[in-house]
This record gives sequence, structure tokens and C-alpha cells, in this order.
Amino acid sequence: MNELEIKQLWQSTNEKLEESFVINRKNTEDITRLKVQNFVSSIKPIKIFTILVGILWVGILGTVVVNLFIFSFSKISHLFLFSLAIQVVLTAIALTIYIYQLITIYQVDITEPILKTQEKIANLKTTTLWTAKIMFLQLPVWTTFWWNETMLTDWNFLQWSILSLYTGSFTFLALWLFFNIKYENRDKKWFKFIFNGKEWTPLMKSMELLEQVNEYKIGTIAGNRRG
Amino acid sequence: MMTKEEQQQFFQEIIEQHKGILFKVARTYCLNEEDRQDLLQEIMIQIWQSIHKYNDQHKISTWLYRISLNVAISFYRKNATRAGKYTVLKTQIPEMQTEDKTENERQLNLLEQFISELKEIDKALMILYLEDKSHAEIAGILGMSVSNAGTKIGRIKDKLKTRFSQLKS
Repeated sequence: MNELEIKQLWQSTNEKLEESFVINRKNTEDITRLKVQNFVSSIKPIKIFTILVGILWVGILGTVVVNLFIFSFSKISHLFLFSLAIQVVLTAIALTIYIYQLITIYQVDITEPILKTQEKIANLKTTTLWTAKIMFLQLPVWTTFWWNETMLTDWNFLQWSILSLYTGSFTFLALWLFFNIKYENRDKKWFKFIFNGKEWTPLMKSMELLEQVNEYKIGTIAGNRRG
Repeated sequence: MMTKEEQQQFFQEIIEQHKGILFKVARTYCLNEEDRQDLLQEIMIQIWQSIHKYNDQHKISTWLYRISLNVAISFYRKNATRAGKYTVLKTQIPEMQTEDKTENERQLNLLEQFISELKEIDKALMILYLEDKSHAEIAGILGMSVSNAGTKIGRIKDKLKTRFSQLKS
């Protein structure tokens, strides 16, 4: 079967099938009654809930931290205060990325060419990686919350060794994940282990799509250079 | 700028005149009937939501292919909330009879099998190639250079040829 015959086969089959393909006029009329979506109505309630909880968390803790810095700095453990401050700042960054993602996804124009639109969407979805990276970066802070000045005077070598190992390994893990969670490592076993599960499927799918877009773009860039 | 009534009229017209584009995209990207119905509904909603952005800078078919393929590749999700909110479309997509398969039908099955195995963007390219679109129009829909479109089509044609020659042998 040659090229022409294959095309004819496809076209004639579709023509036959299309003849009996009916779109009910009432249905299209129903669609035209839909309002053009605005940003808020396009977001799922669970996402709005997540944002509200995030803002509330950062807002309350942020206020507490600022007040502690201003009014009680000399009275409370500095290690506790700095751990809390780092945690709040990192959560605020993750929240900002999340809101930025939602706004930008809403602004994607689906009437633009496929590669451009798909690249934008896939890139945006992969910024979810940044949220994960930042959340992992909080790991060591959770091990230092309870530290206090008396540890410096009262603790022996063994206690310090255990604590150093504990906090050190969390710090190492957090930094290692921060620098290694990236698109290029998507095929590694540990990456798939972390991002395994239904909630990560869109992210993994986006990375796969980004790969396809890049394959197409390579040809275009090479073509432009030749031209 | 079109009025609301003009937009409604324009929407009805393009859907009726170019329903084949929607039909082919839905048929290519969704294997089962229920998913196709959902995808068709999503494509039509997105066309309506974007209708105010249309200008005659592009051919209407280019514009429709862009929306349909973008929705099919990425936007399409099973959305229970939306399905419950709006009228479910009662479009009928006919199926080919599978009894007494002729040689043509066997080859059609092979072609459909080949397309179903392609990655998302390759599928888009394949539809446009089979629809005999020019390299320039394919490049405009996909957003790539004309020469690159030619190269990609060449590669996909080779794959298709190999598949059909395997059947022969």
C-alpha cells in the first residue's frame, strides 16, 4: 500500500463515518450559554482551600515570628526562633510558586500553536518540582526546633554525636534532594520512588510531553540555523 | 469585535461546517466512546471560550486544529464536576462494522493501530499528514519551521511504510 492509498483509505473512511456524525444543535446552543471562565471560577475548590490554608498558616506563623523577634528576642531560644522563621519563609516561597502556577496556567492560550502551548503547560507543571524541592529543604529545620542553649553546657560527647548524625543526615538529604530533584533525573529509580502515585501522574506526564516537545524543537532550531 | 449574538451564530456555523476536524481528533485520541464524547464536549467548550480571540489572520481550520489538538493532548481531563453541571452531548460517533472484514478494513485497522501507538504530538502530526495538509499549514498548526515539518513528516512516513510492508511480508 503506497502513501496515496493510505491517505485515501483514511480520508474515505472518515468521510463515511462523518456523514452519520451529528452534533445536536441544542447542545451547541447550551454551550454558548456558558459564561467565559474567569480565573476564580476556573480553579477547583480543593485548590482554593489549599491556598487559603497556606495563607492562613504563613500569616499566623509569620505574625508570631515577627512578634517574637521584636518583643521576645532575648527571652526565647534563638535556635527555635530561627528554625521557625526558616520554616515560614520556605512555606511562603512554596505557596507563592503554587499561586503563580495557577495564575499562569489560566493565562495559557490554547489557540496558539501546539508546541508553544504544550511547552508552556508542561513547563508550568514541572515547576511543581520546585515546590517539592523547597518542602524537602525544610527537613533539617524540623530537627532543630527543640534545641536550646543548655545543650551547649549540659550535653556530653555521645549526645552531641547522635544529634550531629541525626541533624546532619537530614541536612544532607534535604540538600541532596534540593539539588537533584530536576527534570534530567526523571528516569532515576529514586526519583520515580518519590514521585510515585496518582497525584504525581500529571507531573510525570508533563515531563514526558516536554521531552516530545524538545525533540520537535531540536529540528526547528537546527532548521533555523541552516536557514 | 463580535456581539454575543454574532459569536453564537459564528460558533454554530464553524461547529457545523468543521465538525469533521473535531470528529477526527476525538477519534484519534480516544479509543472508547465515552471518552470521545467527553473530549468532544471539552473541545467545543474550549472553542466557545476562545471564540472572542479569533481573527482572520489564520485559516479557520488552522485555528480549530490548534484548539482541538491542544485540548486533546493536554487539557482533556475527566471532569466529573463539569459533566454534572452541563448538558451531556448526544453526538453519535458511528463505528465501523467489524464483521466480514475486507482487505481495506484490515488495512484500516492496521493504520488505526499504528496511530494509537504514536506519542501525543506525533499523533497530531499524523492526522495533519493524512488530511493532506501542506507543510506550511502543518508548521503553522504545530508551531515549527516548514523544513522541520517536512523532516518530521518524512520520518513518520517511513515508520508507516515499514509497518505496512511488514504486513505484506
